[in-house]
Amino acid sequence: MIRKKILLIGDFGVGKTSLIRRYIDNTFSDNYLTTIGVKISKKRLSIDTIECEILIWDIEGATPIKKIPHSYFKGASGAIFVCDVSRGQTIDDLYEHINSFLIVNPDAKYVIAYNKIDMLSNQQKESLKIKLSGNEFMTSAKNDENVKNLFETLAKEMIL
Amino acid sequence: MRTIQIVLNAILSKNIFEYILVDTNLKVIESSQGVERYLGEKPKDGDDILDFIPEFVGNEEEIKKIFIKRYCLFTLETVQKNDYYINISIEYCDSKTAIVLLHNVTAITINQQNLLQYSNESTLLYNTLNKVINNQNSMVFIANRNKMEFANHQFLNYFDIPDLEYLKHNDIGIFRLYEHSLNNYLELYEALIDKENYIKINQDSFIIQASKIEETHILFTLTNITDISSKLNIDPLTGIYRKNYLNDIASKILKDNEKFALVVLDLDDFKKINDTYGHQVGDNILKEFVKLVKIQIRKEDIFARWGGEEFLLLMKDTTPQDVKHRIESIRTQIDEYIFDVVEHITCSFGIACTTKDDDIDSLLYRADKALYEAKATGKNRVIIKID
Repeated sequence: MIRKKILLIGDFGVGKTSLIRRYIDNTFSDNYLTTIGVKISKKRLSIDTIECEILIWDIEGATPIKKIPHSYFKGASGAIFVCDVSRGQTIDDLYEHINSFLIVNPDAKYVIAYNKIDMLSNQQKESLKIKLSGNEFMTSAKNDENVKNLFETLAKEMIL
Repeated sequence: MRTIQIVLNAILSKNIFEYILVDTNLKVIESSQGVERYLGEKPKDGDDILDFIPEFVGNEEEIKKIFIKRYCLFTLETVQKNDYYINISIEYCDSKTAIVLLHNVTAITINQQNLLQYSNESTLLYNTLNKVINNQNSMVFIANRNKMEFANHQFLNYFDIPDLEYLKHNDIGIFRLYEHSLNNYLELYEALIDKENYIKINQDSFIIQASKIEETHILFTLTNITDISSKLNIDPLTGIYRKNYLNDIASKILKDNEKFALVVLDLDDFKKINDTYGHQVGDNILKEFVKLVKIQIRKEDIFARWGGEEFLLLMKDTTPQDVKHRIESIRTQIDEYIFDVVEHITCSFGIACTTKDDDIDSLLYRADKALYEAKATGKNRVIIKID
């Protein structure tokens, strides 16, 4: 069976762990608990009859004084870059995260999650939606919006 | 192998390390008893290590090079497995065997996580508070006794200060702009307590307020009222009313047939001060003068600037004798007060009390005439015209 490593990368508190919990266990908690180090979750998928196992790395978020160790990036086939739409700085920081990751894995695939869209009004969502390109998703782990789509779009990109 | 086993037994006895031995195809040869608590079950001989340590996925080829290079740099720190935190590393044993070491770092990691949680929550709160402060319309700054520690964007932009670090090392001494004689921010705070105060910076007028947030730190806010003050008829230099406002009030009182006294105050020889010391000193004198008068007048009295060094005071509910007595007291205070730079100045006063057919112009005419008489008869005196 094909095994692929993917990472969720972004600033601290953007909801990386919540997206994984929603995708793997279909659960959500409003309580913020900082992730330290790395935790791996597995998900089996069948993509166009190809059986595969996605190993999802939930790694601790970047803080202003602590960057993500590059050792976590090695061997990854893909990444989900996550930002929090209610914190502009986390969107600004995406570019740096993507660059750091692609230096280690130039051929890897990636998607971007604009998370916590449950905090936006319908009008704000509409204006954000217009700006998004094909590999960018508006997500809400809280309301289960676009989470499955996010992970499985990346999986297809990597497998097919 | 025998030596390795002895070493392993020694470190395993401390319950910190567990191990899995793997062959060149990364199949399990043997593992220690304690790996089960991290992996959920004990791997059997021939099992694929990737089923138990999926952290190796994507790095299989690099790990296999250990049998050629005889060393491996693959180490993963702080991996959460089954409620434990472990460091995973792989070392060369012999040409057919490598050892995967699982180092239990749970205790230290939980302490680090508590710190990180606190740090991240503090950062989020700090960022939010920063946004709140930077989105205020007012300029906000925090100072200790001698220097500024923080200022919001509005403050930095207004004073064209590049950043907080620059501000911390190049204090702009706002306290001196409020009053020349003040030496630090603590004195400014003490001067502002329980009062509505005004400060003029460049061509703008601000309400300045202060509150202690710590024994050593004071929060100051500066609210720009340049536009509002013109609408509200407030004199931007001194913070008291303009003549138009006093006129409106006086007309209303006259219409209601209420009695009052109108006082014209004029600083003696003020032109000489401006000519000798400059307009900045002149402005400071006017502010000091207003402060002195404000201390002595009643809450219901209306004090306004007519223009230049001339002021008006409207006093209700008073008799000619009482008003003369009060104004004489103000005159004495000014005469005895030591002003900054010029030290001594005096003021002349003309008082008119309302009569039956008075309008604001007739009243002002008589008060002005009284003032003229005060000036003509030697200055620094009070003349009252009852009718």
